[in-house]
Amino acid sequence: MTKLLEVNNLHTRFKVRNGYLHAVNGVSFSLDKGEMLGVVGESGCGKSVSMMSLIRLLPPAAQITEGEVFIDGEDITNASVSRVNAIRGSKVGMIFQDPMTSLNPFMKIGDQIIEGIVYHKKIARADALSQAAKYLKMVGISNAEHRLGEYPHQLSGGMRQRVMIAMALLNEPSLVIADEPTTALDVTIQAQIVELVKGLREKLNMSIIWITHDLSLLAGMVDRIMVMYGGYIVEEAVIDDIYKSPLHPYTIGLLKSIPSLKTEAGSRLPSIPGAPPNLFTPPTGCPFSPRCTYKVDRCQSEVPALAAVPGAGGDRPHRVACWVDMRGRGVEQ
Amino acid sequence: MTDQALLLPQEEKQFSLAKDAFIRLVANRLAIVGMVLVVFLFFVAIFGPYLTPYDFLSQDLMSRNQAPSWLHWFGTDDLGRDIMSRVIYGSRTAVIVGFSTVSFSLVIGIFLGALGGYFGGKIDAFIVWLIDITMSIPSLLLVIVINVSLKPPLVNWMDAQYVATGNQIYRNTIWVDFVLVFGSLALIKWPKAARIIRGQILSIRNKNYVVAAEALGVPTSRIVRRYVIPNAIGPIIVYISAALGEAMVLESSFSFLGVGVRPPIPSWGNMISDGLRIWQMYPHVLAAPAAVLAIVTIAFSFLGDGLNDALNPRQWK
Ligand SMILES: Nc1ncnc2c1ncn2[C@@H]1O[C@H](COP(=O)(O)OP(=O)(O)OP(=O)(O)O)[C@@H](O)[C@H]1O
Ligand code: SF4
Ligand SMILES: [Mg+2]
Repeated sequence: MTKLLEVNNLHTRFKVRNGYLHAVNGVSFSLDKGEMLGVVGESGCGKSVSMMSLIRLLPPAAQITEGEVFIDGEDITNASVSRVNAIRGSKVGMIFQDPMTSLNPFMKIGDQIIEGIVYHKKIARADALSQAAKYLKMVGISNAEHRLGEYPHQLSGGMRQRVMIAMALLNEPSLVIADEPTTALDVTIQAQIVELVKGLREKLNMSIIWITHDLSLLAGMVDRIMVMYGGYIVEEAVIDDIYKSPLHPYTIGLLKSIPSLKTEAGSRLPSIPGAPPNLFTPPTGCPFSPRCTYKVDRCQSEVPALAAVPGAGGDRPHRVACWVDMRGRGVEQ
Repeated sequence: MTDQALLLPQEEKQFSLAKDAFIRLVANRLAIVGMVLVVFLFFVAIFGPYLTPYDFLSQDLMSRNQAPSWLHWFGTDDLGRDIMSRVIYGSRTAVIVGFSTVSFSLVIGIFLGALGGYFGGKIDAFIVWLIDITMSIPSLLLVIVINVSLKPPLVNWMDAQYVATGNQIYRNTIWVDFVLVFGSLALIKWPKAARIIRGQILSIRNKNYVVAAEALGVPTSRIVRRYVIPNAIGPIIVYISAALGEAMVLESSFSFLGVGVRPPIPSWGNMISDGLRIWQMYPHVLAAPAAVLAIVTIAFSFLGDGLNDALNPRQWK
């Protein structure tokens, strides 16, 4: 299979009051065509910033200081602004967390959905609108032609998220980045959206990056999972390996904090003790070391590199960034 | 589908957003009262002086301080001038000062506010500092200082020009009052406009829908046109309405205190101040301009409140 996306040693930081906040610290990964990758980690670990960096969709205070991103072999980090706009409009689709605020209240649904293609593909408005109606039907919105003429405040949250999905798909992107697309929705609507995306993925053969802080949501949905901590990728493996034989202490902690059927009612779920990482002055060694119960001397002085574990992971490498060999010591479910 | 059911209560809303806002404005009785009065004020300010039977300057010493009658609806003042004509001309004074002040503050405010909002950093910090400094200057003090320091040399210069050239333009020093009044008012008023515009741009720039449009590759110029401006326009319209009313009241206050538009040019403010001297004997001389000023103030505040509610999508949920 060919690589759709390749990311090498990506660093992104924010200029803040008196220094820099290191949000992404050397992220490297790749994605095949048609593959679905889940990105997990606690709030503030750099999931959004690292994925937005892929298409340079960053606030003015952010800067990519190092590394490179290739989409379809094209270098994004060094491309011109207009080229990046063209790539955003043709190859990459984004779905955001909060559907209630992601639509311009002063624009009709139809006009908003077709913004990208009218601009980048120079399609006539009428054709673009009939295309939009087709996609609205595809994402499960009835009475689509009528909806095109409505304003966002006339739609419910679930409907708006479907509109956002249609908007992201209308460009026929080869990569869709979904940043916690179900967090703001009711549980039943969450499940509908997950099913919808799974179905669309098969139908349209897209690659998807699904960002979430909920590891259990990814079960049965993604091919691979990438775990982030403090702006680093700490573990990455196919989904079964993450669930059945996690190798990073942080992943193990995350898995232990998922309630299961065996959890007794009223008992407290184990959570990972300690504060989230300080991105302003990161620790010298492993970013997880202040909270890690397995740490050894080396952990405080040297950052462990993300490397494939020999003998683990089958045809896809199981990568982990940890000085201690956790095989046989984690949760074996 | 679940969200279909959730949608039902909203299903009847078939209006476009602008229509929706207008319907909400019209549904608000007080806003309508305000709007009608404001429109009437502008009509009177523009056409009124051509419709009155009396000149606002012509004195009739035989009929001084007359009570309201069919001949003089609002009565006459202590020089026998028709008060209604003077009130009508005073509305022109107020509207001229209001419009020039507000447009001038908007131009400065949009320029500085947009500059700060877009570029941020040191430029923004400087503009915020400038806004704070300007807002801390007491407006009355500034107007008095400008009057005392700038007006005499300007008037002297014009006199000298008249003597030297004989050109009639230099004899009319009335415009000096106008320029000084709205000049100083604009100097005081722009920070508020700048603040509103800067705040709008800062908040809209970080809105999710702007990021979503950027994610579709929509270029900045189009984002400004179709996303930033339409979303910023509501508060700016509300500001314009409130600022117009405020500027007119300030013009009257300054004229009342003798640092604004001076007699014989009528301003509601200097008419009130004239009326104050004799109101115990001739209350109508004070009542007419005072009532008009009060009505206009209330009209603008009704309209402003109505616009605020109608144009704010958060009020619609
Ligand atoms: N505009 C910004 N200015 C300064 N720091 C920022 C900005 N946006 C994000 N950050 C910082 O970058 C770090 C990574 O943020 P990011 O949004 O990627 O987290 P996340 O993993 O997506 O978390 P969440 O689950 O809350 O979305 C955070 O510590 C955050 O404080
Ligand atoms: S490197 Fe050390 S501190 Fe970091 S996760 Fe592994 S054991 Fe813990
Ligand atoms: Mg995020």
